[in-house]
Amino acid sequence: MAMTRVRALLAKELLDLSRNRLALLPVGLITTLSLVLPFGIAVAIPMFTGQDLSSDADLVKVSAVAGAHDPLTTSARVQLFLFQQFLMLFLLTPITGAMALAAHAVIGEKQARTLEPLLATPVTTGELLLAKMLGALLPTLVISLAGLALYVGGIVAMAAPGVAAAMLSLRTAILAVWVGPAAALVSLQSAILISSRVNDARTAQQFGVLIIIPLTAVLVAQFTGALWLSATMLALVGLGLVAVWVLLALVSVAIFERDTILTRWR
Amino acid sequence: MISAQHLTRRFGARAVVADVSFEVSRSEIVALLGPNGAGKTTTMRMLAGLIAPTSGGVVIDGVSLTRATAAGLRARIGFLTESPGLWDRLTVRENLRTYAALYGLADPRRAIDRAIDVLQLPAQASVRAAELSKGMRQKVALARALLHEPAVLLLDEPTSGLDPEVTRGVRRLLEDRRAAGCAILVSTHNLDEAERLADRVAVLHERLLVIDRPAALRRRLTTGRLIVRVTGDHSRGLETVRRFDPAAVIEGPALVLRVADAEQQTPAIVAALVAAGAGVVEVRPEMPALEDVYLRLMGK
Repeated sequence: MAMTRVRALLAKELLDLSRNRLALLPVGLITTLSLVLPFGIAVAIPMFTGQDLSSDADLVKVSAVAGAHDPLTTSARVQLFLFQQFLMLFLLTPITGAMALAAHAVIGEKQARTLEPLLATPVTTGELLLAKMLGALLPTLVISLAGLALYVGGIVAMAAPGVAAAMLSLRTAILAVWVGPAAALVSLQSAILISSRVNDARTAQQFGVLIIIPLTAVLVAQFTGALWLSATMLALVGLGLVAVWVLLALVSVAIFERDTILTRWR
Repeated sequence: MISAQHLTRRFGARAVVADVSFEVSRSEIVALLGPNGAGKTTTMRMLAGLIAPTSGGVVIDGVSLTRATAAGLRARIGFLTESPGLWDRLTVRENLRTYAALYGLADPRRAIDRAIDVLQLPAQASVRAAELSKGMRQKVALARALLHEPAVLLLDEPTSGLDPEVTRGVRRLLEDRRAAGCAILVSTHNLDEAERLADRVAVLHERLLVIDRPAALRRRLTTGRLIVRVTGDHSRGLETVRRFDPAAVIEGPALVLRVADAEQQTPAIVAALVAAGAGVVEVRPEMPALEDVYLRLMGK
């Protein structure tokens, strides 16, 4: 694999995206929403209603899965639980916004009639798909990480004393720098795989949206307290996701049929 | 340089290209002629290693085109696709820069500057592709195909939709590339272009109907009519040529007669006319236009 070719295509993807910033609007909106939502629930609503988080018996019970965190008050512990759960949402939902980018990766080139001259160069399928995946992943990660910095900053500024310190844990780090990017890899690679197998951008996007189902299942399980993943478990989940990505990447290359794409797609 | 060997491509039961064999040598331009759906683009794509033949093979510069050799061979081929296929939001220079990197050029800036210069695009270098006219887009696509100075050029309808001035520029460019040793295959609908540009013309209609030099193609379908332009009294000239063909006629400024072998009989006809006091201005066998040859081959 020639990284110069991957870099060239990636540079083209990013340049193209920088001139079509509206394409990043869904990612930006979802990130903003994910940023506002937890502070609304964990800080603003209790403040405006005067009802402390500790007064919700169910929340207090569910939040126990997050651990004791002795120095924290009950209210702060619930807040910590909410911020930790929303962190997962916060890291995963921007991916759904980036799905549109990935879903268009191959079919978009075909529809713009730019795929054939591209495939006439020495670029290999692996190089093309890697560049396409990175072209969707990198902007998503940059927006996610920028949002994460704001999220942490917001917690430091607005959360109950001790919550910010409790948030800065190995578990949070694993979620932010390991599980989040790994989940993004899997989701975007799936979308690119779909993009190279369907002959219509709308179909690619509709299939891509299906990715949201497993993500939603994980989030619902987390919020109900049915699923609490420790740092170790999260690390293993991340490892599993990377393994799935490698598998998906190999399958994407194996089933990418230049012949079919050029001759059957209209 | 380019060798198509019994190329066949089927889509399901339908053969789009059947048993097509031809070669294009170094410093040669071959025009691939054929109606829509004749298999020209499919043939081009097979030669460029973009799609695989159902049977048969391609050899480029002595190397057989296979899955393993395809990427390496594509680096030696400049392929102009049917549609320019430029990235609209990128400028001309940015489009070319991406391709220069994909071809792994050692000095991309120089190669881009040269391509921009050759295609006379300096004023458009910083313009986004979306803002270019159709002719300019085609020129940029040509610049892209020439960027890595390929030994083999496959050009699908290179002058389609271009104005005469740009067309002439493209023709001159291809002649330069031929002089530089390139093997060039051009698919076209334009018979005039094929005749002006190509050393040989291949007529394709699913099968390769014929491949030859344009003049030789026309000779194959020679009408057997001899056109003789004379000065002075045409009726006296007519009397003379009727000794060779009793059905000879006057058509405009010329005498027209039918002969079995123009090459053998022309000296005797000229001698007889001169002896009869006619001034002979021109004698030529009537040649059909390439268009007539083409239509005859197509069975129309």
